[in-house]
Amino acid sequence: MMRLLGRIALPVYFWLFVAWLFVPLFVMAAMGFRDSNFVAFPIQSWTTDWYRSVIEDREIMASLWVSLQVAVLSTVMGLGIGTPMAFMVARFDGVWRAVLIAIIVMPAFIPIVVSAIALRMFIGNFGIDTGILAIAFGHAVSSVPFVVVMLLTRLNSMSANLADAARDLGADEFIVFFRVVLPYLAPALFGALMFCMLLSFEDFTRSFFLGSFDPTFPVLLFARLRFGFDPGLAAISTLVLLVTIVLGLYAERFTRKRAAPGHQGRLAARGDDTNA
Amino acid sequence: MTAIFIWARRFAAYRALTELLARSPLARLALISIIPLAWIVLANLAPLVQMFVISFYQTYPLAEGAAPEFTTRHYFAFFERPLYLSAFARSFIFATLVTALTLAVMFPVAYYIAKVAPRMRRVRLLLLVIAPFWISEIIRSFAWMLMLSNRGAVNSFFSFLGYSGPPFELLYNNISLTIGVLYLTSLYMLLPLYSALEKIDDRLLEAAADLGATGFSRFTRIILPLARDGILTGCTLVFLLVVGLYAMPVLLGGPSNTLFASTIGQIFGRAGDSWPLGSAFSMILIFVALAYVGVFMAVLQKRPGRRT
Repeated sequence: MMRLLGRIALPVYFWLFVAWLFVPLFVMAAMGFRDSNFVAFPIQSWTTDWYRSVIEDREIMASLWVSLQVAVLSTVMGLGIGTPMAFMVARFDGVWRAVLIAIIVMPAFIPIVVSAIALRMFIGNFGIDTGILAIAFGHAVSSVPFVVVMLLTRLNSMSANLADAARDLGADEFIVFFRVVLPYLAPALFGALMFCMLLSFEDFTRSFFLGSFDPTFPVLLFARLRFGFDPGLAAISTLVLLVTIVLGLYAERFTRKRAAPGHQGRLAARGDDTNA
Repeated sequence: MTAIFIWARRFAAYRALTELLARSPLARLALISIIPLAWIVLANLAPLVQMFVISFYQTYPLAEGAAPEFTTRHYFAFFERPLYLSAFARSFIFATLVTALTLAVMFPVAYYIAKVAPRMRRVRLLLLVIAPFWISEIIRSFAWMLMLSNRGAVNSFFSFLGYSGPPFELLYNNISLTIGVLYLTSLYMLLPLYSALEKIDDRLLEAAADLGATGFSRFTRIILPLARDGILTGCTLVFLLVVGLYAMPVLLGGPSNTLFASTIGQIFGRAGDSWPLGSAFSMILIFVALAYVGVFMAVLQKRPGRRT
């Protein structure tokens, strides 16, 4: 009985789940080619006009530009804060470490609406207006916990001998940091960078409450969807989706390959490849 | 790059600093901790503390030079309007149901990837399932709007099969909202479940089978207890995510089933001095949600059979 379940029912269920994940995305991609002003099925005649028209849509392109600026800015902040924070945590043990980590990951456990609004009120104290800087700050707040956790995993695997050897050879603390420790962290840093970018690019709630009149892409899409939808929105959403998935897969692959250095890591990476 | 630091050694200040750092671990710790500590205080703690304080203000922002007056009336306002209470109750019931549903849907998926699929394919199956989660919540809502609208893919499929009645009302109600939210939460459940299940030693299951345990008792006596931490983490993450959802209920839900997060958002969007009221409601949401999760965890962790 159980073997039947394992052999047939579970794989079938799994692939049904995968279909459930991907069918809506394919439907959306197809809708972008529909030759009509209205969203409906079946699609009888096809066109690429929608793709052309959304690329010429100033508002959409402007929102993508805003999203990109926010993503870059928040990634710089997220890594700039998260990296030293990981080093700080790495120096603690036991209870203190647990307490520190609990405080650091706290933003991940606060309902998003609440943390977005709390930040919105807080930046007012410093005279920072809503807009790109404010959104980037909000995204950095949410990405720092993930950066810290990703870097800590890597730091824990680093042998103290590396830094000691560099010191013995006459490197000062700054050289040790920039030439030994940071390069060792590079794969995890790259993973964290991509994570920050994707997290920022896909966020709606923080961008909505911390943004001003120049919307990010998800905020603009939200505003348009509230007044109905047309195939053009499907077209631009599909384009954005493709870019996101490609970047995400690339980042995942890159970090996985570089994650474990040395003999075992190389073996693992090769195992994945022969298997791909 | 090393050249910059070598060059910097000409300066006595740099030499003193590096010597201090080399000698004293405390100095290294201080240098590395200034910015992170400032960030923890400014970004993680201060905004919430400020929100807590504002929730007791009569009005906010304060008039120029005026001292704040304190009141608890914003907390009582929560109980005065049935609208607020019903949105709050709906949020918690909805989040609980969706959490249970996500667990039920994702457990077999996680189990298949972690235990049944060939070891070599696990990472790629996981990637396949993770990929859609890099996409924006709004785009994913939109995709489901296209699926479920009156002339959407699902209804077209039914008429293709020969159904000719009026279209099924699938969009802008609890059906579409639940499907959409499940689409959002499944990853947060999958990853903790997967990492818990993956750690279970297959030999335990084989030993149990050799000793005559049925499939069902292996599941309830071995797999479930060992996966408990993963289940708890996943449920916590999903529950807190759903309670804080703002956009998806607006896009996929009906006008009659507002959730509490939307209520809070609307209060802040309102003109006039509504910030203290919104702050009070935010505090209620945080504290009740965390208490709810805490009680839930405490009850489940006390059950016998806990791994120590």
